[in-house]
Amino acid sequence: MPRVVGKTAMVVLLCLGLGTPAAAQQPPVHYWHQGAMPPGAIGSLQLQRGGPLPGYFQPVKIKAPDGALISLAEAGTFGPAQQGPVTVGMLIGPVYRIRVTNIPSEYGREVFPTVEVINRLYAPPGTETRFPIEVELTLEELQLALSGKFVTRVIYLEDPQRALPIRQGAQGTNWFEAGPNHDPLAIADQLGRPVAILRLGGRLPDAEGPSIDFLYGCPPVVAVAAPQSPQEPSAAEPTQASRSGLWR
Amino acid sequence: MNPRPASDSTHSPWPRWWRFVVVAIGTLILCSCRAGHPVAGPYGHGPAPSPALPQQAYTGDAAAYLAEADCPGDDAAIPLPSAHVAPWTPPGARAQPWPPDEYLFDGGDQAPATRIAADWEVHGLNAEDTVGHFDTLDGRTVVVPSNRVSIYSPRFGAVRQVVSLRENEQWDPWVGIHQPLQPAGHADVQIAASSKQQYQPEGHVGRSLASIYQTKQGDGAVSNAYRLESTRRRILPGEAPAVLGQNTLEAAETAWLADGVEAALAWSRPEGLQIILDRTRATVETSDQKVETIFTVKEPEARPRLRVIKTASTPYAAPGETVDFTIRFDNVGNQPIGNVTILDNLTTRLEYVPDSAQCTVAADFFTEPNQAESLVLRWEVTEPLEPGQGGVVQFQCRVR
Repeated sequence: MPRVVGKTAMVVLLCLGLGTPAAAQQPPVHYWHQGAMPPGAIGSLQLQRGGPLPGYFQPVKIKAPDGALISLAEAGTFGPAQQGPVTVGMLIGPVYRIRVTNIPSEYGREVFPTVEVINRLYAPPGTETRFPIEVELTLEELQLALSGKFVTRVIYLEDPQRALPIRQGAQGTNWFEAGPNHDPLAIADQLGRPVAILRLGGRLPDAEGPSIDFLYGCPPVVAVAAPQSPQEPSAAEPTQASRSGLWR
Repeated sequence: MNPRPASDSTHSPWPRWWRFVVVAIGTLILCSCRAGHPVAGPYGHGPAPSPALPQQAYTGDAAAYLAEADCPGDDAAIPLPSAHVAPWTPPGARAQPWPPDEYLFDGGDQAPATRIAADWEVHGLNAEDTVGHFDTLDGRTVVVPSNRVSIYSPRFGAVRQVVSLRENEQWDPWVGIHQPLQPAGHADVQIAASSKQQYQPEGHVGRSLASIYQTKQGDGAVSNAYRLESTRRRILPGEAPAVLGQNTLEAAETAWLADGVEAALAWSRPEGLQIILDRTRATVETSDQKVETIFTVKEPEARPRLRVIKTASTPYAAPGETVDFTIRFDNVGNQPIGNVTILDNLTTRLEYVPDSAQCTVAADFFTEPNQAESLVLRWEVTEPLEPGQGGVVQFQCRVR
């Protein structure tokens, strides 16, 4: 009997010894996550993987078509509408609900997209706000959402070794179309490092106003002023409203 | 038949020490996966800029640059409430700066190394490589890589998926429930899993303390060993131990002490060998003389060298911005070098600005497409470079 126990213990020890390095060599990808998972699930799983993610407000720059207004959820309701782009600091993991109004050619209609930050950047100290994650709300996708479509847009950080040899100009972020049988998160993972997920379409708030569930608990945001680029000076100074901030 | 040794009585095919070896190997594997790796330093651990470069030149040391230069936008930037003071680097990360997917790299010579064939064809010049090559007086062609420049420039892409939502309403009324099976009975007999039994003590075991203490007295002589605190060895018996070790001078040791002092005086005589020549004290004394003196002149070993230093005008750039690159090349060897050529294979996200290339020495400039959908820049210096001579190449690139 002791001999059998000793052999079993050795086998278990060897399995643990060989299995632990294999688990440690898991590639940092999201292939085991599906892009169609409910909002907040991927970010929560990302937090469980460790790293300096919890509590970090990742600057996110939300772009909208000219004329469209963006409202961020704060204190259980939507805040004042602002002209885009709007740069805010968002936590990694929670889901942020946004209201887009005054959409060109769709006046009087509203879209309520969500933004889920699932990873962060590691910019040199002092340049975090100069290199935010760029979340782009295109007019085409807003119209798709208004027509009853559900749009999932996975924003990823391009791998410089596999970057497209084209300029990123005024037309905005370069993007690919994922087919209906493909996972956009898996494709983004192959092209780079997914950092955020934008979802448009689907759910609308109740008639009496947005509930706290609709706002996903209204997670905190930090308003940051977008720094001026030395080669692309901005015409307007940082607005006072952005400096007043939503510090929590 | 010889009886088996005692160690083989278990009839196991593996010896007992083999089990311990397996257990030790498994333990080492488990511990190796949880041991802390040496934490790589922040960005400041990169190669320091060459002292020959101007102070504003950036060679990849972001921390040094940020410490000295004003960061554009610092005035308008609001510090994040949980921003890290220093850039976070995962344990064991060797790549600097980290993470590499947020940086553009240009310069150096990545594997496979660049080679120049006899027909001047270049092999192994990868994207991001910057090298210089030259011919030596003895007919060799030497390839010299530059340093590697890193520019923080993250760029984003997106993958979009559009799904159509269809509303579907369907009524499925219940038509009936038929459940013929009913429980006929239930019997559950449970056997007690534990029992309690009282045990009475069979006896009482106590411990008595000693009531008598017995001591033993010696003969009254107490011997002590003395040792000086600041010496490494003990005092020998012939070295007057009482006066040296205990600071007690006894009459019987006076003769020993006088003998020792005399011996010390014999070893501390100040006189030594002195030579006086013509009433002048000599400083060097030679014991032999040679009939001839041979003078030899050694020529320095031929060391053809070319130093290539590459710098960027900024450590970070957003897509669409322009970065000025400077390549300085110098003949730091001790003999002339010829056919000096500077090659820069631009990476995918760097786009050469036309007509922006300049060179301070006479050189022919060429461009040709590369495999990264960018360009290979080539400067061929027309005149040989004497030792100490060099030049500067400057050009602009737009970040894609």
